[in-house]
Order: sequence, then C-alpha cells, then structure tokens
Amino acid sequence: MGKRKTVVLSSSDDDDKRFLLRSKTRNSKAKSRPSSVPRANSTRSKKARLSDSCDISCNESNGFDEIKLFCEDFDEGFSGFRMSTGSGRSNGTDLWVDKYKPCSLEELAVHKKKVEEVKMWVEKRLKRQKKEFCNNVLVISGQAGVGKSVTVHVIASHLGATVCEWNTPTPTIWQEHLHNSNSGVRYMSKLDEFENFVERTRKYGLIPSSFSGGSQASMILLIDDLPVANGRVAYEKLNKCLHLLVQSALVPTVISITNCGEADSSDNSPQNWEELQLSLQRAGACKVAFNPITVNSIKKALSRICREEHLNVDGEQIDIIAKASGGDIRHAITSLQYFGVKPHHGLSLSLSNGTPTYLKERSDEMNSLDDRFPLPFGRDETLSLFHALGKFLHNKRETENSTSFEQDAFLLKERFARLPGKMDAPEKVLCKAHGQARPVTDFLHENVLDFLSEEAIYDACVVTSYLSDADSLLASLSGTITRNYEAENVIQSAAASVAVRGVLFGNFHPLSSRWHTIRRPSLWQVEQSLRYNKLEMVRQRCIVHDGMRLSDLSVVATEFKPALKWLGFRESKGLESQNVSDKDLMLDDESADGTSFDDKGSETSDDEIEDW
Amino acid sequence: MLWVDKYRPKTLDKVIVHEDVAQNLKKLVTEQDCPHLLFYGPPGSGKKTLIMALLRQMFGPSAEKVKVENKTWKVDAGTRTIDLELTTLASTYHVELNPSDAGFQDRYIVQEIIKEMAKNRPIDTKGKKGFKVLVLNEVDKLSREAQHSLRRTMEKYSASCRLILCCNSSSKVTEAVRSRCLNVRINAPTEEQIVKVLEFIGKKEGLQLPSGFAARIAEKSNRSLRRAILAFETCRVQQYPFTSNQAISPMDWEEYVSEIASDIMKEQSPKRLFQVRGKIYELLINCIPPEIVLKRLLFELLKKLDAELKHEVCHWAAYYEHRMRLGQKAIFHIEAFVAKFMSIYKGFLIAAFG
Repeated sequence: MGKRKTVVLSSSDDDDKRFLLRSKTRNSKAKSRPSSVPRANSTRSKKARLSDSCDISCNESNGFDEIKLFCEDFDEGFSGFRMSTGSGRSNGTDLWVDKYKPCSLEELAVHKKKVEEVKMWVEKRLKRQKKEFCNNVLVISGQAGVGKSVTVHVIASHLGATVCEWNTPTPTIWQEHLHNSNSGVRYMSKLDEFENFVERTRKYGLIPSSFSGGSQASMILLIDDLPVANGRVAYEKLNKCLHLLVQSALVPTVISITNCGEADSSDNSPQNWEELQLSLQRAGACKVAFNPITVNSIKKALSRICREEHLNVDGEQIDIIAKASGGDIRHAITSLQYFGVKPHHGLSLSLSNGTPTYLKERSDEMNSLDDRFPLPFGRDETLSLFHALGKFLHNKRETENSTSFEQDAFLLKERFARLPGKMDAPEKVLCKAHGQARPVTDFLHENVLDFLSEEAIYDACVVTSYLSDADSLLASLSGTITRNYEAENVIQSAAASVAVRGVLFGNFHPLSSRWHTIRRPSLWQVEQSLRYNKLEMVRQRCIVHDGMRLSDLSVVATEFKPALKWLGFRESKGLESQNVSDKDLMLDDESADGTSFDDKGSETSDDEIEDW
Repeated sequence: MLWVDKYRPKTLDKVIVHEDVAQNLKKLVTEQDCPHLLFYGPPGSGKKTLIMALLRQMFGPSAEKVKVENKTWKVDAGTRTIDLELTTLASTYHVELNPSDAGFQDRYIVQEIIKEMAKNRPIDTKGKKGFKVLVLNEVDKLSREAQHSLRRTMEKYSASCRLILCCNSSSKVTEAVRSRCLNVRINAPTEEQIVKVLEFIGKKEGLQLPSGFAARIAEKSNRSLRRAILAFETCRVQQYPFTSNQAISPMDWEEYVSEIASDIMKEQSPKRLFQVRGKIYELLINCIPPEIVLKRLLFELLKKLDAELKHEVCHWAAYYEHRMRLGQKAIFHIEAFVAKFMSIYKGFLIAAFG
C-alpha cells in the first residue's frame, strides 16, 4: 500500500500559480482529511467512489474555485482502486463497468487497428527527444462508450507512462454564485478555468517531473471533458485556447471528443464539435476516429464478464444486449449487470433461467422487427432528420397486405386502400428524429415531387393539398398575441402528422427506390431574397417618385416597376438635367446602403445554414 | 416626372374622374367640421389623388409641401422596448404613413406612434383648422389587434386629430372602425372616363392620338387609371407617332404568368409541377403578391380552358386563395392549386381523347 503514490497538484486563489506538490498514500489521506471543511470532503469522497474510477478526487479544498490537477499512476492506481473498493464494499454491488475495466491491450474491445494507431502515436511522442519539434496533440473522437479514455489509459499503462487529467471544477450553480457573491469569490466559468489551465501547462509544462522519480518521466495529458461552448463568442474562445494548446503543448496531449453523431439534429452543438475537430486538425493535431464497437467485440467482452461472474446467461441473450446497445460497450455492460441482477430478486425468472424456445422466439422477433420490441434495457434509437425524411419520401411498403383478411377490418375503396408501410407510425419516426413541424413540412414540400412517379399527377395533387392543409394548420396560431404553448404543441404535432401522412398516403405509386439527394428547401432562400427585395423596394419607393411614395408595395411591384423598366431609358436622360446633384446624392446613398444590406444578407444566410 | 404624377389633379375642382365625389367632399370640408374618412376602392381609381386634393382644400397649398422622414421609433412594450423604423410623409398639417409596413408589429405603431402624433395639436392660428390629419394607407392590411387599437385612438383623440383611412377592400376593415368613419367608395373609372383622361393628357403633351388607340389602352388597363397612364407613357417611349394598331406591351410579370399557364397546359406531371414551382418562386421573389399571382394565373388558364371545366377550376382557385390567406407560405397553396388543375385537366383530356 505504501508504495502507491498519489500526487495532488492544486493551485488556489491563495497560492496562485504555485504548484503544491504532495504525495501520500491514499488510505491515510482518507482518514486524515483537513478538518476545516469536513462535510464537503465527506460528500466529495462519496461522489468520487461513484464516479469514474480514474478520477478519484482526493484533493485539498482550499477554495471554491480551485483547480485540481490529479495525476496518478494509472496502472497501479487502477488495481488499487479495485482493492480499496473491494475492502469497502461487497464485490457484488460494484459497478461492472468499473470492475471489468480493461487493464491490458488484449482486453480492449476497441478495434485493434485503432488501438495500434493510438499506441504508435504515443510511443513516438514518448521516445523522441525533447528538442525535436513535432505536434503533440491527438484528437480521439467517437460516440459515447466506445472506449476512448480507456484506450488511452491502457496504452499509457502498457508503455509505463502516467496519465494526467484535467480535473474539471465543480460547476457553480447560479444560486450558489449569488450566495457567494457577497464573500468576494469571483465567478469563473469552466471555460475560464480551462483557459487558465492551458495557459499554465504551456508555460510550465505539466508537472515538474521530479516528484515521481526517473521511472515515470513519461507523461500523457488527457483532456476528457472539454468545456461546453455555447454561442459564438465562447466557441471562439475555446477554439483559440485549443489552438494554443495544439501549437505549444509540451507533453503529449490527448483530447477526447464525444460525437453526438447525427442523432441530435435539433441541436447544433454536434456541428460545433465537428468544426472544432476540423480546426484542430488544421492546426496540426492528429485525429483518430473510433467507430462504434462491433457487436462481436461486445459479445466477447460480455461473455468474459459472464464467465468471471459465474452468471448463467446464454449466447442469445448476450446477442440481444449487444445489439441493443448500439455500439456502446459501457451501456452493454451495465445492461448485462442489470440483467444479471434480476433473477436474484426473482422478478422474471423466465428470462435468465432460460426457456430457450421463448428466447428463440424473442430474438427472432428482435431481428424481424428491427429493434422495435421494448426491452428492459437498450438505448433509445435516434434518427437523423434526413433519415426520417428519407423514410417518408421513399415510402416503402409491403408487397402484399396481410391484414386484409381480418373480419373486422374496414373495407376501403381501392383508391383509398394502401398497403401497410414498412416502418413505424410516422409520428413515432418523427419523434425519434426530433422533427419539428415547420422544417419537416418544408423539406417534404421541397423534395416530394422527385419521389412521385412520372405520370402520377393525381398523386401530386393529393400530396400538395395535404401540405397546404399542414401549412394552414401551422399558421393558425401565429397571429395571436398570447402564446398558448399547449395548444401550439397540439397544432404543431397535428400539422406534422398531416404533412407526413399526407405524403405517405398521396404517394400511391412511389418510384422504385433509387438514389435521391434531399435538398434543402429553396423556399428559405426565396423568403430571404423576398425580404431583401421588399426592403429595397421600400427604400426606393421613398426616393424615386412622388406617386410611388407610400403607395402599396404590391402596386409598386406590379405596376410601377415594369413601367419604369420601359421608361428607364427616358428617365436617365430626362431627369439628369433637372436635378443632377440630387440624383448623385441619391446614388451615393443607394450604393452605401446596398453594401450594408449585402452584409446583412450574407449574415442571415450564414445563420440559416448553421441551423442545418 | 412620370405622367401619373405630372397630371395628377391638385385641387378638388380639377378632378376629372370622380367629379361628384370631389364636389361633395369640398362641400363637406368647407361647410363643416370634417369627420374621420374611410376611402375604399380598387387600385388605380383615384383614392390617393382625392385625399391629396382634399388636404389641399382644407389647409391650402402649404399642405403640399411634404417631407419624407425615416425615423426609428422606440416603443415601450411592457417589459422591453421595440425599435420600429417607419417612413412618414409629413407637412405641417398632416402626416401620412403606412402602418402595415411594420408587419406584425403594426399594433405598436397604431397604439403608440399615432397616439403621440395625435397628442401634438397644431397651434390654432387664425383661420386654420385646430386639428391635424393622419392619413393611414392600406388599413385593410392591418392586423386585427391593430384595428382594435385604432378604434380606441380614434375615439380618444378625435378632438385634435382626424384620420383619413385608405384601403382597397372595406370588408377587411373591422365593423367598429368603419362605423366611426364616413365611408367614401371610389369606383374604378369606366373606360370612357379613362379615355377622357388619356385624351386630356395627350392634348397637354401635344400628341397626336389616332382614333381607337386610347380606347385600346383603356381596355387593357383593367379599369385602373394608373395603369392606363403608365401604359400610355410607355407606348409614347416605344413608338411615336402612334399608330392605331400599335402593340401595347403587357407588364413583364403578366407575360411570365401566361408563360407559366401555357407550361401547365402543355404537360401535366410532377416534373412539370416542379418547374412551375421554380417559376412561381421567381415571381414571388420580385415581390409580386401571391394573391395577384394566383388570380392572374387563373385568368390565364381560364382563357385556354373548355367551358365545361371553368366552374370547377374557379372553385378550386377560390378554395386555395382562401387557404393562402389562412396559411403562412403562399407557395404551398399556389402549388396545390396548380396540381389540382393539372389533375383535373389531365382527367378531362383522358376522358375526351382517350
């Protein structure tokens, strides 16, 4: 025990920018906490046990906004953690995710190639001489739970290097801030903290390597938890900060970025992350993208755990769990644990005691229904908006109607009858894709005509009339002053469902599926230029002619403009002699205004694009 | 200066087209206090001209000295302040504005800005009226809320301020506002009246008008005097001396619509529908109001249609026009109409020719 070393580095307001080095054994620390704030410490220690194993926060609490930098020898620390938790609690209640954290390269479920890639990178960085200049930043991206951090930890331990993490400060809640504001504590956002941290590591390197002796001279910095940058300004700041880090990192640095994938289409943060990755790459960082873990790898890992836990789970169940996890191994393991817990409480014995026929049935069902069966575990699948749109537009249907022979089925006329669709209820799909009524309707309107067969004008008529209904529904609440959110919600979903179902119903003779791109609605572009033109017209109306002054815009557009086009020739001649100076002035005005409008136009268009 | 402006009658006495209305208005203003007025009638019938002449009658020639003001108003709307940019045309006696320019924020204009202007009563010098006149254009485009607050404003400040409202259709002005005004309907001029005006202008300009030429312009003008005069002037630019069979060029957007119509008649398919959509976008971008596009399109289609179908097509046009007013995005409804038409027409063709 005494061999294990814990290093705490902390800098607080009191001892600003000075590093406090301290090394002691963990166990003694747990007992002999500084007694100044005992309650805070006790809660913190609890939290630490629950949280991810690697960032056991044993630290000094010198102030509210201190920065904790915690390093540990991962290899030893990890096993130590297991021991310590093992002594504290019974093994059975431990989180399997932590318990079966891979300790060696062989145990990693991540694809070998990717691991090799990262390993090579780290090796190269660790071996080279100090003076050699090369880039020190690696970006690892991937979904949640594909083993980004673990890979780094395992590789580090394999190579005998230390992993240091930027330990994120506890976020300050607004109330807390208000409470503290009297005591003169300055608020620091996570982003500020990160900035400070980067600044320090650039200047002083990570930690004086003397503390740990020669054997642990090699070090890897892992930044696992980038601050969330919301909005342009914060994003720029973060970007700048990371750029600095890329350019001048002294130690090999691994930044892990969790991709939200295309899942959250309503949110534009994933786009920001992608942008961030790109800009980091441009700055010279290497990038390794981790793919979701394959079902087989997950299955292997799960079987291993089952063996070790002496849990009697057969292959099919493992198969189901692995498939339902969507490539997220952490989730899969947790599911397995949950699954394993059940029989002890005698809830659903049938599942694990194994009546194989039932399970067989079930897994078949799983396959055929394409993840639709409600499992007690499994992640909610999300769809990207475009995926959902594709489903609606392609309108794939069964080739024959199987339910038509039921007795109580309605008899529809042939032209109203449709074969059952090959997908969930459209509302469900919309819900999965976070589809909002307005954009969905716009997208459908833009693209649906491509998916209708050549001759089917009647279908087009039905579809467009439904879209027109949807638009009327959407507009029905826009005029009122008081916003009634509940009613709006109902109307929105009604409109979306009218639009989607209209498209599905109307497209009676869908084209045989082939590749179509889905366009961005040109309607948006049209609306933008319409706005711009209107402004332009309003402006010109006042300048040019008496009669046009304050007359109806529609009159200007439909009557004056065409006539002026014809008369344009005479205008320029006739008027010039009369009031040259006036006109010159006007022209100057116009050109100046024109440029400013252009700027505005491009700005708004940028915004629009960003939304998508 | 365009002829439309150049030959606009400046006083009520010089008005050619609506002489009776002009004389009545003159009597009204000279004999007694002027009530709130609501002018309504189709475009190009002379509402604006009458209003200007009326103002001149009330305040004398100085009412014509107007200056354009582009001002940003700060309106306090409860929790926040809203900046509204609005163009006004003002003389010492009257202010003219277009509240519907502010879009959905029009009620703030009506509530706050008009209120503020109405409060500042001009100093009652000798022989001058003790009130200010507010001319509001396009009242029918005001939102319902704005019209309600307009009613309040009218009552509250009627001592210091008269409103002259101007719109195309009085049916879109609320009952309450209408009943507080003297309604003046301005008819579209008849073709004979238009010919008379054109001949008057021709005489003033010293032009030779071949017989029947003015009548042809009047016929094409759709009984809008403004269009007639503009067309007249364009013809003058295109070709002079006039010949009696000279082509009168239609408006470019009208030509475009008729092109769309013939596209629709030629082929009925989703692909063609998509092309038509692109063309309609083109029109909309150029600020041609969607109602007018739809109306014109129907007109062009009807020209080429069998009598049998006309009724049904008109029905659907009306249906989708209504939808368009209810809805937000006009293109959805115009396109639905076009699709409906294509489907009806194709069905007809198949039935007729197999």
